[in-house]
Amino acid sequence: MTHTRRQFVGTIGAATALIGAPSILRAQAQGTFRIGALCPVTGSGSPFGSGMQKMIIAAAEAVNAAGGAAGRKIETISEDTQTSPQAAVLAAKKLIDVNKVQAVLGTWSSGVSLAVVPLTNDANIILMNTSGAPALSVPPANAKGLSYRFQATNDRFGRAFAEICEREGFRRPATMAFNNASGVGNTEGFRKAWEAKGHKVVESVVYEPNQPTYRSELQKVLAANPDVIVTGSYLADTTIIMREWYQSGQPVKWVMPGWAASPELVKAVGPDVVEGIISVDSVSNENALSYKAYDEAYRKATGQPGQSNVYAAMTWDMVHALALAIEAANGTDMAAINAKIREVSNPAGQQVYTYAEAKEALKKGKINFEGASSVLDFDQYGDVTPDFGVFFIEGGQLNRRYVVKI
Amino acid sequence: MFYAQLLVNGLVQGLVIGLAALSITLVFGIARFPNAATGDFMTFGAYSALSAHKVTGSIAMGGLAAIIATGVISLLAYLAVFRRLAERSVVALLVASIGIAFFIRAVLGVAFGHSQQVFQVPLSRPYVFGSVRITPLDLQLALVALAALALVFAILYLTPIGRQMRAVADNRDLARVSGIRPDRVMIALWLLAGSVAGIAGMMLGIKTIVTPEFGWEMLLPAFTAGILGGIGSPVGAVVAGLILGVVQEVSTPFVGFTYKIALAFIIMLAVLLVRPRGLFGRLEGAR
Repeated sequence: MTHTRRQFVGTIGAATALIGAPSILRAQAQGTFRIGALCPVTGSGSPFGSGMQKMIIAAAEAVNAAGGAAGRKIETISEDTQTSPQAAVLAAKKLIDVNKVQAVLGTWSSGVSLAVVPLTNDANIILMNTSGAPALSVPPANAKGLSYRFQATNDRFGRAFAEICEREGFRRPATMAFNNASGVGNTEGFRKAWEAKGHKVVESVVYEPNQPTYRSELQKVLAANPDVIVTGSYLADTTIIMREWYQSGQPVKWVMPGWAASPELVKAVGPDVVEGIISVDSVSNENALSYKAYDEAYRKATGQPGQSNVYAAMTWDMVHALALAIEAANGTDMAAINAKIREVSNPAGQQVYTYAEAKEALKKGKINFEGASSVLDFDQYGDVTPDFGVFFIEGGQLNRRYVVKI
Repeated sequence: MFYAQLLVNGLVQGLVIGLAALSITLVFGIARFPNAATGDFMTFGAYSALSAHKVTGSIAMGGLAAIIATGVISLLAYLAVFRRLAERSVVALLVASIGIAFFIRAVLGVAFGHSQQVFQVPLSRPYVFGSVRITPLDLQLALVALAALALVFAILYLTPIGRQMRAVADNRDLARVSGIRPDRVMIALWLLAGSVAGIAGMMLGIKTIVTPEFGWEMLLPAFTAGILGGIGSPVGAVVAGLILGVVQEVSTPFVGFTYKIALAFIIMLAVLLVRPRGLFGRLEGAR
């Protein structure tokens, strides 16, 4: 193989360009603030992921249309978690190391968020997630206070379950939980809240994933003669459990999280089996003006009503809270931005609903951004408290009967 | 009576594990390597049955589709990959089978998507014997499993090709000098191993849900049963599957549901410590 001088010069040129590249990137980054939209576009989160990502982009456009944040445009780089912790970590590494994003938004499912949060912590950047596991509130996951959760914790779901059981007049609840942080978080949250009301849980079972049958688990729970079974479960295991319970013939009511008692569950086991199941999910802040703006953007981007994707409302709020914090910090210093997130979202202050309005109000004084997903008030752990919709499955339809506030 | 019910639960679970272990042990006895693609053969069988069931509405047709399609896929895997590696080390064959497993899973994932699918079978109330409840579906599945087992053992012990398979399993060189053509034996083996895995996959699919990963997740218990029963022993694989299923369920009042899986492995360790060749395994000289 022979080298010509021209090839040699070409190689040198390419090498120079490579060395020069970071400075070019830096030059571009001057006027922008980069965020990573890391959503479950494929995998079990796929019904929500693409809408979540579109709302991050749409919200960033709304921010940029109002002149950006602290004089900078928001630039979004999209990646897919595949709803798998391994794929999410690779994507997050790429966003942080290659794209140099300054915040990662939109992780869904606790396994994914718990896998990504060490990376964002190491890079000292913000992570905004939509996961429920209680472990995300506290160290080590949230040791630096850089992680914010826009979904209710599993613990709060448990509290909502307890409110619903009391309201529906159940006396003898039992619990069944999938053995992971989220499943057990739901039922433990329920137990604490239920016992605080002075009642007792008659039986509780924690079961393993991927079992061919859950009949023995059911047998143990049903032997205690509960009038309702509260679950921390997922779609796959719930499908098996519902069929085996129905075949057992023992009447009992069920209270489940919305990601388990979903339209897919009705499709899988048939409307007869799931008749009367109470499905609980957080609901968006539907009467707020911010929700109206989100709903318009969501319809424009997907052709679906905003109500069909509670997580997309959360990612819409993520960009708003972050951009307002950047504006309030008047710079891109991460510590300064992080210090402002609660300040712009929590009371007191003037209630604001859109970015343009909020940016204007920020010049006059303290603001309180009210989100599309919830009123968006972060507690000391970076958690919010949305309201919960209580859906009854009737004739194969999920009908919302009422909303519970905790 | 509580325990009798747990026993029944365990038996049904054990039959599925036993069938999968039978497929593994057949391949191990004759082709001499642990076939890690068995789990994905099961998945393939479940999707074949699911597709046939959707088209015809008949579970029997689903079963037939599972048997034929999975037998063919298993044979193709042999012709395309395993035959070419036959003289290589066990590790090469094991790694190749993991590759085939990934390939099948990926193709199924693309073809059918990753969301769960279910067999739309009517749910019915159980038969009650004393205080033991047995669902008609479980009874039917148990009968299917028993019929499949009877057929496999009839082929192994009553037909010329079965005798040849056992001869190759016993001593390959001796079988060859006795005039047995290994090619025919291997084709019969892969068809049989695939069909058994296909039936196991369909049974598991009817009982649970079907996803591209679900067979892979059954691989560990199936291997455990194969080892516990004595590698290469068809009877041992089935008996060990039943033991694992029953022990897991009956132990739950004592160890709880989280640790029942670990208990199966403790039993396997204990048996292997006392009896390293497994329950029904024969002593093999060093080769």
